[in-house]
Amino acid sequence: MLKKLIIFVSSLLLSLYVLGPLVWMVSSSFQPENEITSKPPHWIPHAPTLENFRAIFVSNNEVVTYENRKQGDTASGGFIPSTAKNLLPSMLNSFIVAITVVILNLIISTPAAYAMAKIRFIGRSTSIYFMLATRVIPDIALVIPFFLFIQKLGLMDSKLSLMITYLAVTIPFSVFILVSYFESLPDELDKAARIDGCSRWQSLVYIYLPLAVPSLVAVSMFAFLTSWNEFLLALMFTQTDKSQTMPIVVASFASDFNISFSFINAAGVMAVIPPVVLAMIFQKYIASGLTAGAVKG
Amino acid sequence: MWLISPMMFVLMSVAVFPVVYSLWISFFDLKLRRPKSAPLIWFDNYIHVLGDPGFLDSVLRTSSFTLMAVSAIMLLALLVALLLNENFIGKKFLSTILLIPWAVPYVANGLMWKWIYDSGYGALNGALLQLGFISNYLIWLGDTDKTLALIANAFVWKEVPLATILLLVNLKSIPEDLYSAAKVDGANIWQRFWNITLPALKPGFTLVMIYEVMMAVRHFDLFFILTEGGPADASHVLSWEIYVETFRKLSFGLGAALSYLLAVVTFLLAFFIIKTLGKKI
Repeated sequence: MLKKLIIFVSSLLLSLYVLGPLVWMVSSSFQPENEITSKPPHWIPHAPTLENFRAIFVSNNEVVTYENRKQGDTASGGFIPSTAKNLLPSMLNSFIVAITVVILNLIISTPAAYAMAKIRFIGRSTSIYFMLATRVIPDIALVIPFFLFIQKLGLMDSKLSLMITYLAVTIPFSVFILVSYFESLPDELDKAARIDGCSRWQSLVYIYLPLAVPSLVAVSMFAFLTSWNEFLLALMFTQTDKSQTMPIVVASFASDFNISFSFINAAGVMAVIPPVVLAMIFQKYIASGLTAGAVKG
Repeated sequence: MWLISPMMFVLMSVAVFPVVYSLWISFFDLKLRRPKSAPLIWFDNYIHVLGDPGFLDSVLRTSSFTLMAVSAIMLLALLVALLLNENFIGKKFLSTILLIPWAVPYVANGLMWKWIYDSGYGALNGALLQLGFISNYLIWLGDTDKTLALIANAFVWKEVPLATILLLVNLKSIPEDLYSAAKVDGANIWQRFWNITLPALKPGFTLVMIYEVMMAVRHFDLFFILTEGGPADASHVLSWEIYVETFRKLSFGLGAALSYLLAVVTFLLAFFIIKTLGKKI
């Protein structure tokens, strides 16, 4: 009985801690300026408005005139920035970068992980340690050389610069996860396939890949989320809306004191929806895929 | 062999080369304001950094942020993992919503908490006032005593899910027989937890600790979104210092030296954790 009570109370507290902040963000994004500045706060909007989302989705086609500009004036409250229209293109940029990184990541990591898990070559464990060591280096330590490097190549303010650097960030993790997963699959499969005349490549593609689907999904999810969420490198390498990703545009809203918090929260909601929806869809793969062999009890 | 060569190529060119190049830059007085003249000054950047009292302060701030954040993450993740290891109604719902913070981008996480902590109209003040804990609205992020702890809380909120997943897998791998045997021997729930569960969780703890320490030491996003190193340097941590030196003052040489020091510290920390915790696995 006591145990049930403890479980119930702690579940309640946990849900509140996890969902509370998010619910408040969503609720704020629908509040007009006079509600969002009320004391105490309106937990549920009394007169919900879609103004913020309208600005994000349709303001692109609107001509800014003196009249409608004035409506969004700081003095009158409810300031919605003219850069609101940049949010959707930046999300598209983020999406293009993330998808490219996921695909290249899988193409590069899978064969490497297969080789490390199933082929006993000289320097095998060294290459695993080497790969992990590259992740111990903080991203911020890589920023300066990356910056000079990318400047020299003339790749400043391009999506390509982000794709290249995100690959470096995500590959070690993917290989690490895939190696532990491949290692948990029996070696006999490989041997049997080789005796039947499969090449290494065929053994990987026809035998191991179908078995490794959970892990591949998890690794793709991780690479996607890392690219979608990455902020520091994007802050350094992008300058215009040609290449700016979602975090950069959202951060630019958050650091402007004139912008209404209700609009900032709407931008936050937009930023959160795609990764959260993905995580929900692939939920069952994440725990199993990420942790196979990572923690051996 | 050719199977791993694409990976090696990528890692060599975008991970190893930059690190070596960064070391090289750290020996020069390279400022982007005058890129043409960058004299070789060997260890002067390092001497300058280590002799700067501000450097020690930012190291201390990074350490206290890391200590607060990682200990909170470990404790919370352990409690949540123990909870999710039980069977009860609503468990599936809990494990599903627990994934959400993991997926939320740090930028969105940052602005969400910035709004909650807002001293004028934020939810934290509102909730505490309505519950009767405070009688006036308080200053949160702007109070130098609270800044680091509040940023750490935003960090913890996002990091706990992954830590929980890792601990939970570890928890599930503990053989049930151990518990039944202990029960037969008359061990109570507390003794079972202390003598079976905790020792068995060592690999999980080691992994989570290394990962979270590395993440906390280098963390930058929340400091940028929430406080920009302020107020009055209260959240001027090492990663913020690197950012300011490099991209606001444009002293690339100095910034490279600083980031090298950060990388070395991270390495030593990871090594230390593996040596102390990992040995007993």
